[in-house]
Amino acid sequence: MSDKMTIAIRKRSWIEWSGWAIWFVGILLIVQNAIGSAQELEPRAALILWVSLAVWLLAGLVVWFVRKDR
Amino acid sequence: MADKRNLKLGRRDFLRVAGLGAGAAAVATIAKPTTVKAGSQGAKFTDPAGRVNRPWWVRTVDQPTTEIDWNVMQRYNERMGTVRGPGMAGYVGQEEVDRLEAAAAKNELQRMIDNVDGYTLKDQALAEAHVALGWSFLGPQKAPTPEERGMPKWTGTPEEASKIIRAAMRHFGAATVGFIELDENTRKLIYAVDPDGKDMIFTDDAVATETDDARYIPNSCKYVISYTVQMSQETMRRCPTPLAQQTTQLAYKRGQDIQASTQEFVRGLGYQCLGESSTNALAISPALAVLAGLGEMSRLNRLITPEFGPMVRVFHLLIDLPVAVDKPIDAGIMEFCKRCKKCAEACPSESLSFETEPTWETQGGWNNPGHKAYFENAVTCRAYWREVAGTNCGICFAVCPFAKKDKAWVHEWVKASGSMVPALDSFFRTMDDAFGYGVQASAEEWWGLDLPEFGIDTTMSVREG
Ligand code: SF4
Ligand code: SF4
Repeated sequence: MSDKMTIAIRKRSWIEWSGWAIWFVGILLIVQNAIGSAQELEPRAALILWVSLAVWLLAGLVVWFVRKDR
Repeated sequence: MADKRNLKLGRRDFLRVAGLGAGAAAVATIAKPTTVKAGSQGAKFTDPAGRVNRPWWVRTVDQPTTEIDWNVMQRYNERMGTVRGPGMAGYVGQEEVDRLEAAAAKNELQRMIDNVDGYTLKDQALAEAHVALGWSFLGPQKAPTPEERGMPKWTGTPEEASKIIRAAMRHFGAATVGFIELDENTRKLIYAVDPDGKDMIFTDDAVATETDDARYIPNSCKYVISYTVQMSQETMRRCPTPLAQQTTQLAYKRGQDIQASTQEFVRGLGYQCLGESSTNALAISPALAVLAGLGEMSRLNRLITPEFGPMVRVFHLLIDLPVAVDKPIDAGIMEFCKRCKKCAEACPSESLSFETEPTWETQGGWNNPGHKAYFENAVTCRAYWREVAGTNCGICFAVCPFAKKDKAWVHEWVKASGSMVPALDSFFRTMDDAFGYGVQASAEEWWGLDLPEFGIDTTMSVREG
């Protein structure tokens, strides 16, 4: 048994990092508007935004899952 | 036409048909407009009796923190007991009262002469501004003038004059304030005849006067103050109901109060301030507001402001104090109206124009010609109010995409994008429907809402930077 271990550090491209940054900002914006819509007593707008948030999160999860081994 | 007279269904059907595709419609349909716990724009009362929602550290107790002995307590003589009225003389004697009054008057004058911060003429004028109420052309004329105080009239640059008038009027309750200077053209916006039949006559007289037949406006009163007063969007979305229409009445009442206070404030500075003798008197409000940059005209043939959309009433005053004037604005509103047409589609009496472009041709004597607009049919509109709604209508105001609160950032982005890229207007209109904006809300539900004062958010007109 070797006493040496190899740690592989994968460097993500700046494009990928930018994509995740946009995804994260998107979350913040959707959450703000969903909460704001609730404060405005606009339940339909709030619901659509919460559903959009779920879709946005799911999309990120799927992309992360697909790309994680690359 | 008949089916449109089913008021609630009329608006809801319209909005449903106009919505996005099946996906958005499905989401929209399952949303029940009754379950939201909201923030500062109006939550539901959490207490069954609507008691104020206090912070957690405020406790309800059985006895007040002031101890009371009901055996000692007697009913009070307000007239002689307090020091406000004759009671003071009872404690210190009339001579001492007179001495104190003379000292107060002397100090007041000396501080004004010395320009002591917070005691200047403009501060005193503001303090005396609330002495009277009510519509009147000449103003209540109860506040002391500088002359009566033994002071010269207030002087400053036009910019300073605009600034202090704005500050005072915002303090009195105006949402936005703008100024224009009357010239040969804009004078045409001052009525020839007022609602009560009195002629409105410009004159070289130094001081405004009023007789049984006419109101005389000095040519020196050539500066117009145009101002808006917010209506409650949350209340108006219950239209057409008496509940919704009273927010209009409330705004008019507040406008009247602001007018009287401003007239007295300007009088206290040493100038004239001529107002509306009754609701919507003196001049054409939307036109002056457009020229003063408070908003743009719209398919409603009414003012739409960038801040509150159509949820305002508009007022005006004439003064002889030179002010810094404002310019009209382009916030993409008139351009948006070309593609939107939501109000025209929602109007149950089909009184609003469906034309894409505004026109010079008026619909009748209720329109003043000379400007290119979306002229409305005021007769069919009014007939609908009387025959069907039984109250002021306002549906066109309530459904307008500009009639939004400002808690969700998206409204600001939409307004900015629409202003800069008109090609997006149709998309925004479609999304407005899909998100359920403009759908009539329950009047009964309103009674359970914990709304702020007047049902409005007074911070909406205050912008940083
Ligand atoms: S107020 Fe008049 S123009 Fe506006 S929707 Fe009602 S009926 Fe139509
Ligand atoms: S509803 Fe649309 S068309 Fe009508 S005034 Fe408002 S923005 Fe203009």
